[in-house]
Amino acid sequence: MGNEKVTLKGNGRRSEPLSGKIKFPIQTRVWIGTLAIAFAVCLAAAAVVWLLPGSRRVARVSVDGAVVREIDLSAVTAEGSFVVEGVGGTNTVTVRPGGVCVSAADCPDQVCVKRGWLEGGAAPIVCLPHRLVIELVSGGDGNALDAISG
Amino acid sequence: MNRLRFAPLLALALVLSFSLSACAAASRTFFAMDTVMTVSAPLAGDALLAACEEEVRRLEALFSVTEPDSEIARLNETGEAALSDDTARVLGFALEEAALTQGALDVTLYPVVRAWGFTTGDYRVPDDDELAALLARVGWTRVELDGGTVRVPEGTMVDLGSVAKGYASDRLAALLREGGVQSALIDLGGNIYGLGAKADGSPWRIGVRDPKDPSGLAGALSVTDKAVVTSGSYERNFTAPDGTVYGHIFDPATGRPAENGLISVTVVGGSGLECDALSTALYVMGPDRACALLETLDGVEAVLIDDQGAFWITEGLKNAFTPMGAYAWATINWIQK
Repeated sequence: MGNEKVTLKGNGRRSEPLSGKIKFPIQTRVWIGTLAIAFAVCLAAAAVVWLLPGSRRVARVSVDGAVVREIDLSAVTAEGSFVVEGVGGTNTVTVRPGGVCVSAADCPDQVCVKRGWLEGGAAPIVCLPHRLVIELVSGGDGNALDAISG
Repeated sequence: MNRLRFAPLLALALVLSFSLSACAAASRTFFAMDTVMTVSAPLAGDALLAACEEEVRRLEALFSVTEPDSEIARLNETGEAALSDDTARVLGFALEEAALTQGALDVTLYPVVRAWGFTTGDYRVPDDDELAALLARVGWTRVELDGGTVRVPEGTMVDLGSVAKGYASDRLAALLREGGVQSALIDLGGNIYGLGAKADGSPWRIGVRDPKDPSGLAGALSVTDKAVVTSGSYERNFTAPDGTVYGHIFDPATGRPAENGLISVTVVGGSGLECDALSTALYVMGPDRACALLETLDGVEAVLIDDQGAFWITEGLKNAFTPMGAYAWATINWIQK
């Protein structure tokens, strides 16, 4: 490290370079710049991860593990329905602002219909016979839960 | 000197790749063992997640009562079968738990459960004579397990449904650990295994369903590297023409759905297999016997909800369980060990 030129301006007193401007060596400046960029990237990533999903609530509908539809429930303005072809039968999915439910199904147990509206929380709507799952992929308050036992 | 010039760029590249890979949350959802399963492991590759699904299907092919080629189906058909290590281990453990719980867990209840229609969906209430005849074929002491060979008398059938998902969660946790994964959430139809801690180092937050309103919650558990298994009759039940609701957890003593004073049992421990077995057994045992057994068990914690809406919770969960919703102000009875 030969180029450690630290120039002190001002009154020249070495012990108090308070008013002095320190000129860092090029290597140090590159490091500082890099860290600043890395910091900015982390901040931006954090903003994307934490802020964006909070403002939107998205429901994902999948059959046998394959996604068939994603609905931005925050953008829904009026109630509407569509039919999903499950495995061996169909489910009528109804959406309204902020919520989704299975309003009708030709499955034997009707568990998915009885489940009612999904408007938050970590528990998805499941129709086992038709292998249908409706879950909130973002914007579910879920009380910050990771899973539900039972 | 020149070699060091690119060090900052390298560092930046590392930071970027780490933050990007952390964003790519990898998970896999599939249907097996008559339920929906999700394995979430942010740092596991697709191949490892596919191996998890394959492992569950392998176990299902061994344990299934309905697949005619499974080891269990062959045992039920012929009265004798040679067992793989997995099946022998699970059956052996279930028999040990049966002894420990004085028969509250019984893997030979299948003929009774089938008569009630829980295996087919054609629900009905068998009369007393029919139940007495069926119960004569039931009893875990009738199962003779000798190393890798098992025998049952004519008419007796084995069903590992009460422990299969718990064992599967243990196997997936082991598979993921071997693959270098330190943080994963395994959800096998509500049988949860939180491997390690969350990626940020905080504990997993697992909700406990409200047994009276399955879309709501009775509370939440904070756990690290633990299985969480809940048994409640709300999971599967049917309403008879007279309005009576019958749950799917059976009391081996009566051949009827268990109604012994508990409506939800959640067991927390290091082994999914043990938690699965105990959640069913404690539910059948009722609050007094369940608490007495829990006092003697090491490494196992539990949250019980009785039919009056009160909690019975082992002291080890004092800082891990938070009652919620309709249960926010419920009575808590602490179980001391």
